[in-house]
Amino acid sequence: MSIFTDYKKELMDAAHNDRIRIALSRAIASYRANTNKALKKFPHTIKMAEEVRVIKEKAISEMEKLAQQACESIEENKGKAYIAKTADDALNIIGELVGKNKLIVKGKSMTGEEIGLREYLEEHGNEVYETDLGEFIIQKLESRPMHILSPAIHVPKEDVAQLFSKITGQELQPDVETLVATARNLLRDKYFRADIGISGSNVVAADTGTLFLIENEGNIRLATGAPPIHIALVGMEKLVPTLGDAWKVAEVTWRYANYSIPSYISLVSGPSKTGDIEKVTTYGAHGPKEMHVIFMDAGRTNLARHPILRQALYCLRCGGCLYECPIFAVTAGHFGDKYFAGIGAVWAAMISQNVEKAASIAYTCLTCGRCKIRCPMKIDTPEMIVELRKLIAEGA
Amino acid sequence: MNRKSKELIPPGLVYIADSITSKHNILGAPKASRAKWAKDLNLPKETTTIFFAGCGYQYTRELESLMSLIQKADKGVIGAEMPMRIAAFQKKLGVDLAGMYLKTLAKGNGTDAQPLRDAVKVLSKLGVEFGYLADDEPCCGGLLHYSGLQAEFAQNAQETYKRLKSFGVKRIISIIPSCTHALRNLIPDYVEGYDLEVKHFSEVVLENIQSRELRFPREVKVTYHDPCQLSRYLGLIEEPRQILRAIKGIELVETDWTKGEWATCCGGGGGFEVVFPELSQILAANRAKELVETGAQIIVTQCPGCIMQLKGGLKELKIDGVEVLDLAQIVAMAMEV
Repeated sequence: MSIFTDYKKELMDAAHNDRIRIALSRAIASYRANTNKALKKFPHTIKMAEEVRVIKEKAISEMEKLAQQACESIEENKGKAYIAKTADDALNIIGELVGKNKLIVKGKSMTGEEIGLREYLEEHGNEVYETDLGEFIIQKLESRPMHILSPAIHVPKEDVAQLFSKITGQELQPDVETLVATARNLLRDKYFRADIGISGSNVVAADTGTLFLIENEGNIRLATGAPPIHIALVGMEKLVPTLGDAWKVAEVTWRYANYSIPSYISLVSGPSKTGDIEKVTTYGAHGPKEMHVIFMDAGRTNLARHPILRQALYCLRCGGCLYECPIFAVTAGHFGDKYFAGIGAVWAAMISQNVEKAASIAYTCLTCGRCKIRCPMKIDTPEMIVELRKLIAEGA
Repeated sequence: MNRKSKELIPPGLVYIADSITSKHNILGAPKASRAKWAKDLNLPKETTTIFFAGCGYQYTRELESLMSLIQKADKGVIGAEMPMRIAAFQKKLGVDLAGMYLKTLAKGNGTDAQPLRDAVKVLSKLGVEFGYLADDEPCCGGLLHYSGLQAEFAQNAQETYKRLKSFGVKRIISIIPSCTHALRNLIPDYVEGYDLEVKHFSEVVLENIQSRELRFPREVKVTYHDPCQLSRYLGLIEEPRQILRAIKGIELVETDWTKGEWATCCGGGGGFEVVFPELSQILAANRAKELVETGAQIIVTQCPGCIMQLKGGLKELKIDGVEVLDLAQIVAMAMEV
């Protein structure tokens, strides 16, 4: 029971931390208000979410076929594509592409978090900068993300000011605008000095090999556009058959992530190219000369075969469920593992294969079901939790 | 249960599960202590429609005592390991459940089963014909399902069905949300040809109060807390509200967002309160705060777990003068039964 004991202590420390609770209660109020506003302005989203559920159900059943098709499309676009069976395979492929002593700028990626990509690259002698502001704060705090979209959701501005003061050697006030400007200055030159940019992707169209990157800060555009090489790590559950499908998935994702429209949506299908001199196609015009995409399985096709737990793969990572979870409201991502709250138990069990951690999370879930009401995919987390408890009880 | 399951299921839940399979109730109470609440109500047994009382309200006082011990210990030195080992812990502290029942029984028919007594009086006055199986009422086994003990739940489901059929039961009026969901939606998955009609108390009341004049003894502001299983699992959101709105003297004041399918859980779901007692109290206080902010003098709900949690939450917030009652109690007062 030692994992459970540690986990329970971590959970209770979080529950007694007023700063987490204050930060989250503000975040929850603003999430609900923003999402209601966005759904009111674009009411078609609700119907579209139903369509996306059907798209995802079908896509998850044929992930391997779609991965193959996407690889072919990307190669046709003169990118390089790979299929990684395991997390280690993915790390090895990326490790080989990167090599040693490189400067890397990275966009936020839960899939990267899942396999410990940043730590792996650092251990191999590379300098890695997280460029998402929240993730940058987390990296510098040597902490771990506490929300899939807002990783530093639990860190108040006073703590950020203290952290940035230490990094810059200047006394910074807890003024949000100053802090954002500081991060911008700290990271600005890294994009242009970097050897490699790494990203994930929110959804990928198999027919065109197009990666969708949804963001507001603009760090992903720079990280995937400025360096000479772009590497993308994508979980196979992100694949859908067509570009049209991908648009729908993307729109539902950002709307339930509380945005009417995000500031940036980047579509990347291959390396940068030009034919402007004598119509000779040349790669690496202004953007990256090389583009590599790794489609990672790491337990996903296995999970897809489970009739109930496969729902976890329909998740769009909008993060909406987390704002509705009464436990998350007082503990943030301490209730979870690589992924958070009830659905995180399924990932811990089936993807990370950490059964004790999975059991701890599974028996923390209230099975109250409010997450399901929020979820655009109507993922039945209580049903998955009870199923998981059953598998745990049966020792499966 | 195999060895692996004993390691990973919180022992608090294993204890409850063992009680259900061996004693047919969630606390392992001796048979003689059950159904006492209905002794003087003279309910018939051999009827096609029965009132299903469930465990929660029958053992409210025992559950409260036990939870208060668990909560104290959870904050104390025994700490993190304890709630996972509740059965051993009970022995260690000399908590004697059987003794607790006897003490409770010695006090006679206290207020702890009041929602049940009120519910049957309301149904009778509304002209509904029904009986009660008393000591022969089986346990729905819902907690076995939520603990992940599916094989045990399946077996309990078949035994429950068989026992109900052996008494000629055709229709069930159930009052506990968890039992209602189990009897209506979970047990049928394990019983071939399941043919019992299961209604919740609030559905039956709503069907029968249409032409009646209901008046609460005083003018009062009331808010309604949706139990998770009743609202999100069974979809019974409008029924209790229609009943409350039909009662003169009651003004229904609601939370602006956290109501109906968006209601916040009281923090006592699926045995959570046994595994994480202190965290459960924090969630209870959070929910109580949302409800109290409506300005209500009475919080009405329909689940013994929610009532226990919300009372605890109010205590935590040091709020006096706000009552937490089951809908059956409110209707009983409005019908003067």
